[in-house]
Amino acid sequence: MTNALEIKNLVKRFGGLTATDDLSFDIEQGESIGLIGPNGAGKTTVFSLVMGEHRQTSGTITLYGEEISKLGTSSRIRHGVSRTYQVPRPFAEMSVVENIRVGLMPDSIWQMIAQGPNREREIELALSVGFDEADLQRTPAELSMGDLRKLEMARTMATGPKLMLLDEVFAGLTVAEIAQIAELIQQMRKDGMTFLIVSHDLKALEPLIDRTIAINYGRMIADGSFEDVIANEAVRSSYLGTA
Amino acid sequence: MGLRWYHFALWAAFIAFMALLPELVSKGTLRTIIFANFLAVFAISWDVLSGRTGYISFGHPFLIGIGAYTSAILTKRYGFEIEVAIPIAVLMTMLGGLIVLLPALRIKGSYFALVTLAFMELMYQLVQVIRPDLTGGTRGMSGIPTLTRGALNGYYLSVTLMLCVAISMWLLMKTRVGTALSAIGMNEESVRGSGLSVTKLKMFAFLTAAAVAGLGGAFYVHYLGSVAPRALFDINFLFTIIVAALIGGSSTIIGPVIGAFFLTFLLEGLRPYLPGAERYFIYGGIALLLYMYQPKGLIEIFTQGWTRLRSRWTT
Ligand SMILES: Nc1ncnc2c1ncn2[C@@H]1O[C@H](COP(=O)(O)OP(=O)(O)OP(=O)(O)O)[C@@H](O)[C@H]1O
Ligand SMILES: [Mg+2]
Repeated sequence: MTNALEIKNLVKRFGGLTATDDLSFDIEQGESIGLIGPNGAGKTTVFSLVMGEHRQTSGTITLYGEEISKLGTSSRIRHGVSRTYQVPRPFAEMSVVENIRVGLMPDSIWQMIAQGPNREREIELALSVGFDEADLQRTPAELSMGDLRKLEMARTMATGPKLMLLDEVFAGLTVAEIAQIAELIQQMRKDGMTFLIVSHDLKALEPLIDRTIAINYGRMIADGSFEDVIANEAVRSSYLGTA
Repeated sequence: MGLRWYHFALWAAFIAFMALLPELVSKGTLRTIIFANFLAVFAISWDVLSGRTGYISFGHPFLIGIGAYTSAILTKRYGFEIEVAIPIAVLMTMLGGLIVLLPALRIKGSYFALVTLAFMELMYQLVQVIRPDLTGGTRGMSGIPTLTRGALNGYYLSVTLMLCVAISMWLLMKTRVGTALSAIGMNEESVRGSGLSVTKLKMFAFLTAAAVAGLGGAFYVHYLGSVAPRALFDINFLFTIIVAALIGGSSTIIGPVIGAFFLTFLLEGLRPYLPGAERYFIYGGIALLLYMYQPKGLIEIFTQGWTRLRSRWTT
């Protein structure tokens, strides 16, 4: 069976700074992986490289058996991967449903014109991440941080990914909102979605993942079960003071 | 597409009003309205591109100029029929649109605006240097075949063009492609992150805007029967287009039409008192005040007024 994602010897340098340092790991289809590490460890950079928002200095990224390093962001998304952002980036003057509408659009001008929006699917997605009917016409300025993260989730889901990269999904959320998003992720795992999840909230993260990868200074320091990785000496010392 | 019965009613009322207008106003006013119609077409073109995507074009006279000059040269120098020349002019302008697109693939914001301004200036220099025997050089061209004679026919021609452009662009922007183009203006990265090719969308916006600008330019030249480069590639003309779109209400298609009429009549109204270029100061000031009062433009003032009226009615 082909892996959802294979990262081999990935290196990314920003000038003199090595943000990703010879990183290699695989994700099987249907697997859910936690990516942890202290601030500035290079977690978000891995996401940007997989999405093609930054180009790696060297190494390869293979998505469902196809090497994607040459592809642009939008075609990578068409290949079944999409991500959320640590800082949500909604379309400021659009309602919740319109934001989701953009995520649902086919990448064909002709189809955009000829076919109307799929309103049922827009609403279904909005409700599935925990919006109420009353929220559907709200604009981002009227939404809480929790709602903005939900919107980010919904727009990411709208592109129809098989592999989702979630960056700090729990940051700024209330306990109730965390439970809501966690439940959504669990449901999607049952339905076969593959996840790579970055979170500083290890307690919320633990039940959602099959395996944990810890990085620091862009390098892999541990890969294994959550308990083993958390018990790992290098991981403990890298987190010292932050965990 | 979110079309409602009152959309059709409003368009029908607008069309009926425009059709009856010649009965109500003088010939002189009619000529003013003709200019307003053409200005509306240019402002709509600007709106499709800059109002939506946020790529502020200072190069619209460049596009309009390609349309105007192509059709003028083909008909006057090479004896083409106007009906043949105009479609060719539109295609040429779309090519010009691709040229303006090139910087938009790399640069944003004020840099993009400045580069497009350079296109306009370049065009002004080029028509003087390259083949002045064709372009008429600095003096421009006159005696270009016209489509109509007289104010009334000119009015019907221009109003038909304006309405066709306004309705088709309004419908187009009501589709998902309009939403996608607005999304580019709000957050280009997130459009890419939604799996859409931003380059493709931008190309569509530039080609559509160019087609409208070229169409307007070509019809304008066959209405006037002449073309004067200093009036066409002119910063005042450029700002009139942009201000019409902005004070009318950008990203709405109807707003630029309202803005074009408002501006044209404002300029005409000021003419007896201020015959010279000082007029542009006054109108600039008025436009600025309006814009500060309601950045979403006249259309927003009207919609709010309408909503207030309706709520008073129902309570
Ligand atoms: N575009 C960039 N240009 C230069 N340096 C960058 C850029 N993006 C990230 N970096 C640097 O790369 C390193 C890794 O950053 P990254 O954002 O990937 O960390 P992170 O693990 O996501 O951190 P956090 O937990 O704070 O989100 C940091 O030192 C950061 O300053
Ligand atoms: Mg990060």
